[in-house]
Amino acid sequence: MKSANGNIGRLLIAIAMAMALPLSAMADDKYDLLKQQVETLKIQLEQVQKSLEQYESNRVSKEEVEELKQEVAEAAEWKEPNTLIHMAGYADVGYANQENSDGSFNVGTFSPIFHYQYRDLVMLESELEFKIGDDGETDVALEYLTIDYFLNDYVALLGGKFLSPIGQFRQNLHPSWINKLASAPPGFGHDGAAPVSDIGFQARGGFPMGNMFANYAAYVSNGPELISTEEDGEFELEGIEAEGFGRDSDGKKVFGGRFGFLPVLGLEIGVSLASGKATVTSIELAHGDVKEPDEHDEEEPDEHDEAESEDETELALDLSDEPARDYDVLGFDFVWSLNSFALRGEYIKTKVGADYTGVTASPGETWETWYTQASYVFPQTKWETALRYTNFDSPHASQDQKQWAVGLNYLFTGSFIGKVTYEFNDGLDGSQTDANRWMFQLAYGF
Amino acid sequence: MKTKNIFSEKILLTISVVLIAFWLPSITYSQSFPEKGDFAAGAKSWADNCSRCHNMRDPQDLRDDQWITTTFHMRLRAGLTGQQTRDILTFLQASNNRMKEVDEVPQQVDFVPTTNLSGEDIYDQTCIACHGANGKGMVPGAPDFTKSNGPLAQSDEVLLQHVTEGFMSKGSPMAMPPKGGNSSLTENDIQAVLQHMKKTFSN
Repeated sequence: MKSANGNIGRLLIAIAMAMALPLSAMADDKYDLLKQQVETLKIQLEQVQKSLEQYESNRVSKEEVEELKQEVAEAAEWKEPNTLIHMAGYADVGYANQENSDGSFNVGTFSPIFHYQYRDLVMLESELEFKIGDDGETDVALEYLTIDYFLNDYVALLGGKFLSPIGQFRQNLHPSWINKLASAPPGFGHDGAAPVSDIGFQARGGFPMGNMFANYAAYVSNGPELISTEEDGEFELEGIEAEGFGRDSDGKKVFGGRFGFLPVLGLEIGVSLASGKATVTSIELAHGDVKEPDEHDEEEPDEHDEAESEDETELALDLSDEPARDYDVLGFDFVWSLNSFALRGEYIKTKVGADYTGVTASPGETWETWYTQASYVFPQTKWETALRYTNFDSPHASQDQKQWAVGLNYLFTGSFIGKVTYEFNDGLDGSQTDANRWMFQLAYGF
Repeated sequence: MKTKNIFSEKILLTISVVLIAFWLPSITYSQSFPEKGDFAAGAKSWADNCSRCHNMRDPQDLRDDQWITTTFHMRLRAGLTGQQTRDILTFLQASNNRMKEVDEVPQQVDFVPTTNLSGEDIYDQTCIACHGANGKGMVPGAPDFTKSNGPLAQSDEVLLQHVTEGFMSKGSPMAMPPKGGNSSLTENDIQAVLQHMKKTFSN
């Protein structure tokens, strides 16, 4: 009996051990699993910590948001203030070689244009012109300065020194980056038939006419002054100085303007008129200097003065009561452009009346000039060619000139242009106006 | 004679002063400056007016604020109306975004039908000013779409990329801005206008 009990006990112990073994194995698996989970959590925690650190470093505080808002507001202020300031302009450099003279490098002009604008109400614009003369001296001139008030969508009033609205060349085409050739057409320069600038007031603008458009400019100004020349006691009109005088020597204003009409796309036709008075204020001496009478001239000559040269005798002429002469300008212009082709032309006639009572009494004279120009940009290239014919008739044979000018341009950009121009000139034999010339020019509008 | 002249000048001056005195209080300026113009009308005015005098300048030549003073200056020079000035300014300010560099092969793009505007409408509003109604180009540098080996001979993917990101044709002095300067165009719109151009101009 005792033996049977012992066997049963051993059996139970064996069974218990057999059952405990798998349980032990299960406990090991669970431990491993837990360990793995802990490791995973540890890694995830590290990642969360890293993310948190990164978040902390990138976190934008309220103060920083406010700062950002302020910066954006300041940027907008900078971009759209009430007053805008801008400098534009153009410059050109080059080389010119004329028949019977040595070629030379040159700086044509440096012409900065300043714009100051207050919203859409008013703009001040002014162009200076810096030039280097043959002697290396720098000349500075105020090409124009106007205060422009934008009255409404169709009218702008401006006052000051303005480019003459007669025709197109002086007011729109003379900047070197716009002019297709390296020179101005004869008669449209600073001593030609076309007025350059004037001082006064002007109204200008544009308006629709059905499907068409028109533009206009009307002005009142001091007007030009005249130069006379004397030879053997006879006077004759030498030229017109129409470059904006700050005085009105005859007290009589010049009224003028231009009306432009755009009947179809790409075509503009313009008519210009000006009328008023102009007076001789200076006399060109035999050797070419221009002398204007000044305060000293009006003084009574003393014994010492009487011994002076013939030139100074001429200076003693009193031109203060010189009668005003009629001054009339008539102009026509057109431009037609189609894709890369443009054809334009301009005609200006300036007539000065006679005076038979003044110190410089002489008949009236007429200056007349016209040009036609064609230009073409070769498709898909930056090459442009231009051809221009000009005929300038002046009362003086030495100024008369007929000119063919042909040019080839390279458009580096729309406003940076390299030009090669050749002029075939036909003028008074042996004079500068008869000598052919070729020019190279780099012009940059900015 | 001189007395009469001075007298008439005094009358003229007096009339001017009285007129100005009545007129001065009415001087105002727009509260929203610069006033928004019409992009499509601006593109057309820009193409119609600027090239009458000078070669076309790239809209990217100047910043938005620089274009403001420049267009007001040109308003006086070219005899533009105030509305034309605002339209041109809007066009230029929208068109002076830099185009992206094209240096990778574009992905294949499936045709997606248009949304609101037809391709013809988009072309007339955005493209016609420079490319012309006949597709032969209205401004220097704009290519001729009617040529059999012209730009439209390229794949849809290339054309889509050029229109979307901007493109400068060979020999052109200026680049077409991204989306032709009309940033409101969607990809669908560009697809539509390309289909219209191919249908209309391709031989």
